[in-house]
Formats: sequence, structure tokens, C-alpha cells
Amino acid sequence: MAGAAAIGASALQGCGGGSSSGGGTPSGGAGGGDSKAGGTLAYYISQPAFIDPFDLQESEGTQVSSNLFDSLVDYDFVTGELVPAAAESWEISEDATVFTFKLREGAKFHNGDPVTAKDFKFGWERIVNPNTAPDPSAISYHLGMVKGFDELLSGGAKELSGVVALDDLTLEVTLTQAYADFIFVCMHPALCPVPTGGAAADYKTYSRAPIGNGPFKIKGEWVDDQYIQVERFDDYYGEKPLLDAVDFKIYQSPENAFNDFQAGNLDFTQIPPGQISAAVAEYGESADGWTVQPGKQCLLGEESSTYYLVINNNDPVLKDKGIRTAISYAINRQAICDTVFDGTRAPADGIIPPGIAGFHEGAWDTAVYDVEKAKAALSAAGFEGGEGIPTIKLSFNTGGGHEDIMQLIQADLAAIGIKAELNALEWAAYLDALQAGQIQIGRLGWIADYPIADNFAYALFYSESGDNNSKYNNPAVDAKILEARQITDTDARVKAYQDIDKLIAADVPVVPVMFYKHSRVGSQRLNDFFFGPNMIADLPKAWLTK
Amino acid sequence: MVRYILRRVLQFIPVFIGVTILLFTLRSIVPGDPIRMIAGEKSLAPEVYEQIVERNHLNEPIYIQYGYYMNDLLHGDLGTSYQRHTEVSKIFADRFPYTLQLALCAIAIEIIIGIATGIISAIKRYSFIDVLVTLSTSILVSVPVFWLGMLLQMFFGIYLKDLTGGTFSLPLSGAGGPISQFPNWMHYILPAITLASVSLAFTARIMRSQLLEVLNQDYIRTAFAKGLSKRAVIIKHALKNAMIPVITFIGIDFGAMMSGAILTETIFNWPGIGHEIYLAITQRDWPIVMGGVILIVVVVMIVNLITDISYALFDPRIRYGKKKGSE
Repeated sequence: MAGAAAIGASALQGCGGGSSSGGGTPSGGAGGGDSKAGGTLAYYISQPAFIDPFDLQESEGTQVSSNLFDSLVDYDFVTGELVPAAAESWEISEDATVFTFKLREGAKFHNGDPVTAKDFKFGWERIVNPNTAPDPSAISYHLGMVKGFDELLSGGAKELSGVVALDDLTLEVTLTQAYADFIFVCMHPALCPVPTGGAAADYKTYSRAPIGNGPFKIKGEWVDDQYIQVERFDDYYGEKPLLDAVDFKIYQSPENAFNDFQAGNLDFTQIPPGQISAAVAEYGESADGWTVQPGKQCLLGEESSTYYLVINNNDPVLKDKGIRTAISYAINRQAICDTVFDGTRAPADGIIPPGIAGFHEGAWDTAVYDVEKAKAALSAAGFEGGEGIPTIKLSFNTGGGHEDIMQLIQADLAAIGIKAELNALEWAAYLDALQAGQIQIGRLGWIADYPIADNFAYALFYSESGDNNSKYNNPAVDAKILEARQITDTDARVKAYQDIDKLIAADVPVVPVMFYKHSRVGSQRLNDFFFGPNMIADLPKAWLTK
Repeated sequence: MVRYILRRVLQFIPVFIGVTILLFTLRSIVPGDPIRMIAGEKSLAPEVYEQIVERNHLNEPIYIQYGYYMNDLLHGDLGTSYQRHTEVSKIFADRFPYTLQLALCAIAIEIIIGIATGIISAIKRYSFIDVLVTLSTSILVSVPVFWLGMLLQMFFGIYLKDLTGGTFSLPLSGAGGPISQFPNWMHYILPAITLASVSLAFTARIMRSQLLEVLNQDYIRTAFAKGLSKRAVIIKHALKNAMIPVITFIGIDFGAMMSGAILTETIFNWPGIGHEIYLAITQRDWPIVMGGVILIVVVVMIVNLITDISYALFDPRIRYGKKKGSE
């Protein structure tokens, strides 16, 4: 069943997979000879917020940090399976509350210190401890279920009591409640070891030049708005990178970076909206959508994230499920993908995107374009032809093409008789309004933290979740989510989440619109460069034609 | 003169206090919760939210927050970014040198080319050169900076690269440094030309019109009548008088350039302060916005002071700090 998460594995050609570790093979990839080794890859990112795992939350910092650090486990998006990383094996207790990891022997940090269970404990406590940096980390929620979390966060304790280093190579994690999917949480790039030997004693220094256990080590320090340089770590325990170094070049806009790519100064960048067709014509499209090879350089594969309409389920008008159903049927998702995004997004037929365990096609039967069914739903709800429904406000944040999307949705709604007006707000004001429940229909994108259905079901639909912006509240769904979290058998758990997804779909609490897709391009000299649905590149396998 | 400078420096204080009060008032009016912005589309755990609010005194009344801010400021602390846990002083210390260097390059281009073409076109009025200068400055004034910048990038960086095998291609972006394959100075050419373009055209036009006006004055005719050479009349008598409005313009322009040329910085990926402040405003990262605006205010005040002092060097009739009637 877990195979359902794999991203079209059969379509993959010559791709190394999503894992940068786990093999333990010495220098050189499969069939790798000296001819492949060497060179510096120039890689576009925008200015990251953090590269220190302490507050690693957005895609840019993660692209850098995931090469400097290895977490306990990793996820192979091709096979849809967890693979070993810093831990070579793990055990989960019957009741899904105790997780025991056996770490690799001989693994080293970039400063030569051995990687031990204590370093993991320290790295995790560093995230939760509110006194690590001037302000507490925004991502401590990853460890919210670990025993002792509340005490450490509130300052009442000095350690995370649920994380214990049994010996140098054995780490035991105890949760306050059953959560079998916690093993997927452990693959998050922020949950990595940090050397206890004093290297991270000064936050200011460490956050600019983190010392990790990953395949690349930082060269110098992060220079704001300019670059972050990393180079091959020769003492890495796993498959050593073929590249000598990677220059992450920081650009203020993707247009800017694309110009520099065309001038020959970048090997991997984003394709700005509106230039995708031209780029595909010039550089060729990748066979699988995730791997760059010479002549097949444009990546248009799926990302594990969903663009959806948040509907305020407490709104006097929209609390009527019939109206929500009609809205979902009325939206021509394909037209939005084609006209606004040049066909580089995929219409969403559910909330769980491809690449996540539990995804299956046609998951939400209301997430299709069917004007007749939309009209029928309205009639069944007692609003024949939209008669009697007051004008609905479609709110969105300015920029990012949202206005174009909302205009199309406005026209789609008008076609079934629902009048809607557009309400454009600046990002900060939009988030305020969303939080205050002042939005009738809005838009959001959800990027999965971990490739599991729980990260959608719980985060977006559990009644007390902070990210449940539609204020959906179904006690039956709540109970089933808590139940599913306790199932240790992977297949049975995925099945349970699919059942929950069906329950949620029947209530139409939100309207899925699109699944995001890559729009990236690599240079002619780039080979075997895999950029996964989680927006992390498998840099150790990539190589440059000389 | 010294008293004049001292008086001007003392005037900085009320301006400075006024600016900080204005900024604090604005930030309490503008919608958008800066702490919620930290996590973006994802929610922030309530305990974490509370801790950040408390540490940054955001739960206090606005005048208490102002007190905290001014106290820190007097101790040389501009605060810490909400978004990045980085000291604001470090953020600007890293970026301001780039803004300053680019502004200096641009202002040098503006002074040399702008003033020179203005003088030539005034002296050779209605000649072919004059028409050429008038026409090209008209075009430059009306060309948007972002368009010119992108055009230069396309032409030199992309189009000419293929044509000449890279011989004439110029670095499109960035400030150079160890990751650039080109010498550092090459990274300044395109952004400096772009930043200088509009101002250069204005300088040339102001220079031309001022010089033409002065050349019609009686004392110029007298100077010619005395038998002085044309060169001596123009340099010694006409130019000095015609320069005052040009200096005023260049001074204001230099102040504006040092406040961060957002468009030029964004097009050329220049790591200056303009883009940083713009981003901080959208993210409601108030410590960066406050620090940035305070930096700009100080810079503009200093540049204005220097401009005022330089008037006296060009026009002997202007003398500061003396009582009326003693001139």
C-alpha cells in the first residue's frame, strides 16, 4: 500500500532516487568513475530565513541545510519508502509511543567529532529550548508530542525528558500519546544532530556556519543576499558526492536568476511564470519531471503541496454543505491551470497531493468540474439558480497570480448563479483576517512537512489544529484521526487515513484547486540531478559534464 | 562656519525624535501581525507566540514600547529581526557598503557625464551636439529604470554572449565576490549605468539651462568686455554661479541613491539596503524597517549638510554663520 505514495516509479529513467544516504557505498555512485567527479555547481536560491536547523522552516534554507545535515531517517519518493539515514535501524513499540534508533557507527560531524545519540538529543532540545536564540523557534511543534516538550518550552525543565541517549549509538524517544507516523516526523531536515562539543555554543556563529553530519560542509559562512558555499565532506559515512562544491547563489527574484542562467552563470534555477513554454522548447523536458539530464533539462514534476480554497465553515451562508458542494463542482480547475499557469499545475481531485502515502486519483468526488451537478446541488440546498444567496467575498493576498485565479473562480461561480466579489489584501493583512475568521472564502497553499496523510488530515481538519483555517469540526473525523495515529502497521494506517479522507470529502470543508508542480531548469552540463517533490535536491548523485 | 555646522547637527535631534515617533505611530496603524508573519501560511503554536510577543514587549502599550526602543537605541542597539533572529545592526552593516559603493559609482557617472554634456550643449547651443544631447536626455528621462536595466542585461549578458563567444558579456548580477568568475569591478558597470541614467539626464538638462541663463547676465558681458578669454569667463564666472542648482539636485539625488535604489538593486541582484527594507515592510519586520529608516534619515541629513556647505565653496556670496549685514 505504501507504494501508492511512489511518484510514478515506472516512469523514472536513470534516476538515483530521493535518498542521499542509506547506501553506505564508498566514493562514487553506481557506475560512477573519475570522469564524473569534480566541478562546482551553481544553484539558485532566494535569501533563506535560516540554514540552522534550529528554525528551518522554508524551502530555501531547507535546500541548503538538507545537504549539511542528515536526520535519522530519509524518505525515498521513488519507492515511497522510509530509508535509513543517520540511523541504520529503528524499532517502534507496540503502542506506538516509544521509538528506538540505532545510529551508524563511525559517522562524523564536519569538525571531526563523532555523531552520537547525545548530539541528537542536543539538536532536538536546542529547537524546543526557548533560550537558544533571541526568540524561540517557530518549528518546535514538530516535537510537540515528545515527552517533556511542554516543560522545556515553558522554561520549567532543562531537558527533553522523552529523548534519552541509552548509549553512544542508541537513541530512545518517548511520546506522550500514540503516533505511529512519528517515524516520518524524524525525517524532517530540522530534526538532525548538533555537535554537543561546544561548536554550537554561540548561536550567532553557528547559525551562520552550521556544522553538521551531512554529505557537504559549509565553506566560510553564509553571506546575506549573496551566496552560501558548501564543499564535499570527505569523511561522510554514506555515498560521497561527485561534485567538489556547490555554490548556492542568492537572488532577489526568479526572473533575475533566470537571466543569469541564460547568461551561463547558473546550473539550476526556477523558470519564471510565463516563460515555461519557451524554456521547454529551448532546453527540453525531463523524462520523469524530477531529474535533469542534458537535453532534458526542464523539471515539471509534481510537488507534494496543494492549493485550495479555505471556506469558513461557520459562515452563516457557507455553513450550508450544499452551497460548498456547488462551489466545488463549479470551478473549472483545468482552465485555471492552463490559462494562469501555462499548464504547469495539475487540477486537484483531492486534498492529498501525489507523492504522499494515501494519495489516490479522484479521492474527492466533488473536486471535479461539473456545472450540471453544481446547479443540482444548489437546487437541492434550496437555492435554485443561486437565488437567495447573498454576494460572497473571495479574499486573497495580492501577487503570486492569485488575482487571476480568483477572477476565473468568480466567473465560474457566476455561471451557476452565485455572485461573488473580489477582496484583495496585502499578505500581512490577509493572514490577520484569516486568523480572525473574517474571511468567507480565501486561498492557501499547504506544503506537507512530512510525506504522510496525517499531515493533511490532522493539520487541516482536526478541530483543534491551529492550521484548520476553515474551522471544520466533525467529532467523528477527530476521533478517527486519533485512532489512526495509533495503528503501527503502515498499510493499515494508510488505509485508515484514506477512509478519513473520504469522511472529510463528504463534508466539502474546503475546495482543492490545484497540485503544485516544479518549474525548474538545469544547465546542459548537469547530469543525474534529482529534485524531489519535497523541493530537496539529491546533490551527492549529481555530476557535471566537463 | 563651525557654529553653522554645530547648529545644523543639533537640528538633527528633533528631526530624529520626530521620525521615530512617526514610525511608531505608523506601525500601530498598519494592519498585519508581525509575529504571525513569522510562520507564514502555517500557524504558530500559542505558547511560542506568547513568548515572542512578551520578549519583544509587544503586549505593552505603544508608548512603553517606544521607551524600550529609544533606550536600546541610545545604547547603540537597533534591535533584532523578528523573522531571522539577526541583529539589525549586522544586517545593515553588511549591506550598506554595497549601497554606498553603487551610489558613489553612479554619482561619479552622473557628475562627469551629466555636467560635461550640459556644458557642451549650452556652449554650442543649437548645434548638432546640442540637439543630440537634448534628444537623448529626453529619452533617458522617460525610460523606466527597470526597463533600461533589463535591456542592458539582455543585450550585454545574453545576446552578445552568444554572438561573441562571451567576449563582451558582462556579469548580470550580484556583487562579485569569491563565487564570481569575473573581476569585482565588472559587476558595477551595468547597475551603476542604470542607476545613473535618469539622474544623468536631469543633471545635463539643469546644467545646460542654468549655464544658458547665466551666460545672458550682465556681468558675463562685462567679463567678455574686459577681454577675458571664453574659457576663463565660462569656468571662472559663469560655471560657479550656474552650479548651485546642479549641486542641489546632485545632493538630493545622492541622498536618494543611498536610501537604497530598490529597482536597480532588485534587477541586478545588488545586496544593498533597498530590497532589504522593502522585504521587511511586507513582512512587518519592524526592527529592520525602523533601523533602515533611521539609517536613511541620518544619511540624508548628513548629505544635505555637506551639500549646503559646498554652496559656499562655489558661490563666494554665500557665507554661513555670519550675522546679516556683515557680508
